[in-house]
Amino acid sequence: MTRPLLTGLVLCLAVNACAAARARGDDVFSTNWQDDHGASIGQLEARLRAAPKTPNARVAIGLTERGLVAVTLDTGARWSHAAALGSLPQIAGPLVIVAERDQIVALDAQNGNKAWSVASGGLRLRGAANDGERSVLVLAGPDSYRVIGVSKSGSVLSTLESATPLGHPAVRGGVAFIPWSHQYVSAIELDSGRDSGRVLFREQTSQAVNFGGEIYFGERALTRFDDKINLARTNQAVAIALPPLSLPGNPEWLGSGETDSLPQGDARTKIRVYAAPTTKDAGLTFGGGTFAASYFRVIFGLDANTSALRWVRVVPADVVGGAAAPAGFYFCDGAGTVWSFDQDGGEGKKLELGEKITACSVDAGSGRVAQASAPAPPLVEQLSAALDVLTPDMAVAQRYLLTELGRQADPVVTKSLIDLASSPRLPGELRTEARNLLARRVVGADYMLAALEHHFDFVSGELPPPVGPLADALAASGEVRAAPLLAKHLNDPSDSTDDVARAARALKKLASPAELDDLRTFFALYRATADDDSLVQAVLSVAATLLRVGGDVGRAQVERATQDPLTQEDVRHALPALLTPQAPAKEGAPAGALPSRPPPTSGKK
Amino acid sequence: MLKQVGIITLLFVSSIAAAPAAPTHGHVDLTALKTALESGDEARTLNALGEVESSADAGAVPLVVALLARGASPKILARALGVSGALAKESSSATIAPYVMHRNAEVRRAAVHALIRTKGAPAVKALRQALRGSDPALRGVAADGLGALGVREAVPDLFVVLPRNVPEAAGAIGTLCEAGDCEKFLALLGKLPFDTMQSGFLPLLLRPTPDVPEKVKFEAIERLRLLATSAANELLQTALASYPKNGSEKVRRAIDAALHGHSVSGDGE
Repeated sequence: MTRPLLTGLVLCLAVNACAAARARGDDVFSTNWQDDHGASIGQLEARLRAAPKTPNARVAIGLTERGLVAVTLDTGARWSHAAALGSLPQIAGPLVIVAERDQIVALDAQNGNKAWSVASGGLRLRGAANDGERSVLVLAGPDSYRVIGVSKSGSVLSTLESATPLGHPAVRGGVAFIPWSHQYVSAIELDSGRDSGRVLFREQTSQAVNFGGEIYFGERALTRFDDKINLARTNQAVAIALPPLSLPGNPEWLGSGETDSLPQGDARTKIRVYAAPTTKDAGLTFGGGTFAASYFRVIFGLDANTSALRWVRVVPADVVGGAAAPAGFYFCDGAGTVWSFDQDGGEGKKLELGEKITACSVDAGSGRVAQASAPAPPLVEQLSAALDVLTPDMAVAQRYLLTELGRQADPVVTKSLIDLASSPRLPGELRTEARNLLARRVVGADYMLAALEHHFDFVSGELPPPVGPLADALAASGEVRAAPLLAKHLNDPSDSTDDVARAARALKKLASPAELDDLRTFFALYRATADDDSLVQAVLSVAATLLRVGGDVGRAQVERATQDPLTQEDVRHALPALLTPQAPAKEGAPAGALPSRPPPTSGKK
Repeated sequence: MLKQVGIITLLFVSSIAAAPAAPTHGHVDLTALKTALESGDEARTLNALGEVESSADAGAVPLVVALLARGASPKILARALGVSGALAKESSSATIAPYVMHRNAEVRRAAVHALIRTKGAPAVKALRQALRGSDPALRGVAADGLGALGVREAVPDLFVVLPRNVPEAAGAIGTLCEAGDCEKFLALLGKLPFDTMQSGFLPLLLRPTPDVPEKVKFEAIERLRLLATSAANELLQTALASYPKNGSEKVRRAIDAALHGHSVSGDGE
């Protein structure tokens, strides 16, 4: 018999409380309950108002093949604990509680020294909490659940058995809060196992959690345990929820509290939301006005009210755990680095766990991440930098970042989109998306013109610019400086025929007689050789432009082509309509639209 | 085999570089020719172009140029470009040049071949552009052409493309290089595969001495000797066999010595 158990037995005998302390919890976790309209939980809250609010220890604990490695967030002190782990470590007040073989073991969060252990009875550790004195454990088996109260010295104070699934617990002033049945939280006196109140929620509730010493209940939204808790049943308690999210991988915030904390990480370990509720005026907000989400190597900082992206960082290895602080965030990556970022994404102190890890538990307690000495660069730069380092296997994140980039009004975004449109780091579909975003840009014309100066060059290694999207954007803004550059691209076979068609369409609007040589060359080269629909469209656009800016010479060239049997069939059929003076374009017709013509008979002629 | 390649290269370069004026075989009826070339009938146009080529009548050049300026089907264009090359009139080059950038591969290759024969500034500009273009086969032909046309200012570009699957650039460099560039070329031996560089050595060794100093030739011979491969040996044999009678005797002796396994010193002894 181990010492803590023996101590517990001695204590039981001394106070004659063993029979009362070990009980079936069927009455506690019963839905056959008369709603007291918040009376019991209100009284309990009033009683506990003077009890200390104990934040969890500020520590990061990583899982390795050999056990735990930890680093304290304030001092950077490291410790390790060799063990065969049966759960993720739970940071509970000043302790780290973890399952090892048939024991639940508590370690001092500051140095890893063993504080106590209790038998798990073959059950898995689902959750643990500590109020500075007492601890509560929730254990789970296939069909049974157990709540164990443990004293500071490791004595078992009470044990409650249940057939009802139980969620993650919290504790304050010796009273444990146990969520169950997705809508109740029962308050249980740890010393006696006695039921001392219950609160009914209208929102899904499987978690009781400690943020900075405050206790919250919920899952998708959190309700604070305070003097309004008796109003929870009517949704009038103090609560906070995340704004609607549309993030890569659809990350969850807390997730269900009715799952066991298994030691092995999985994809969901790396795709998570981190948000810490904090008090603001009479209500709640998320710390520093931001919350964060991870997607493998990428960390997104998001606006607490709108979920708009405020900052983004890419770390060298996948994020395997983290925590939101009252302001700022901590993240562990798989390489064993613990990163800190302030609420604006400024990088703070970095700590090292010293080994590669597979998962990580972090708690920021009530401490904030200090404002970084160097502010984070502008969001546009962050987005570009992130897109620059991500590889095509992160396409989901790339798509999100690309969309965010397209939303930015800064002209320099145009340059980024130009680079991305031909970046080999992006999958083809995202390059297409970058081109689409570029085509809709209304700012950054100088970057567009600079890009059009370039052509494919085997000697210098230059790739062709995204001519089509640039042509669309510049035509929409009536940028006549683009005309000579676009005209040069007409006759560059390195550009796609789609790009050439769009350049030709833009020239219908932008060209002047100064571009006549290039226009005439293009028409001569392709009016009889256009072998796909895009080229046919380009030839017809150029014909229209020749008629507009080419004077008699241009008209003669087009007229002659209409009479030459060698002129490509689709071109020859459409040219007469261009030569005929037309009625004003119908309202709503797209700018630069070609006159109606017979449909192409085939792609190749 | 190597001998054949070397001799063919030499013949190609020398034949283009010193392309004689197109022989005149007769005259065509220019009025009838104009009508045919403007007929819009592909077969008739092709026949007419055949006539022009057979006659080699320089008087037909403006009509062929006009046909190219108007544009036509790919088949006619390729033929017209071929005929223009055969007529070899520099006045055609400006009209031919844009076809180097045509999307039809057959057309643009016909244009490059034509320009190598019609020459002139537009031809040089177009060939340099083709060397930078996206058509790998065209880059090779353009490199040959730049060598044939003696475009020395293209040498830096030729060095860039040489290791990037344009072995034809070696022949052009061997034809065009001056002392410093020739030494730079020799320094690539061992860094680039011999196959890539092979076509550059023969023109380098066989060029007149004022263009390529003897010192550079000795170095080339010695480096080939030190390779001690059958390909290098064959190349030296080809050089010796085709060495010009009025060429430097020292260089000839150096080649011979290298073939007998003797080191070639700076003075060629």
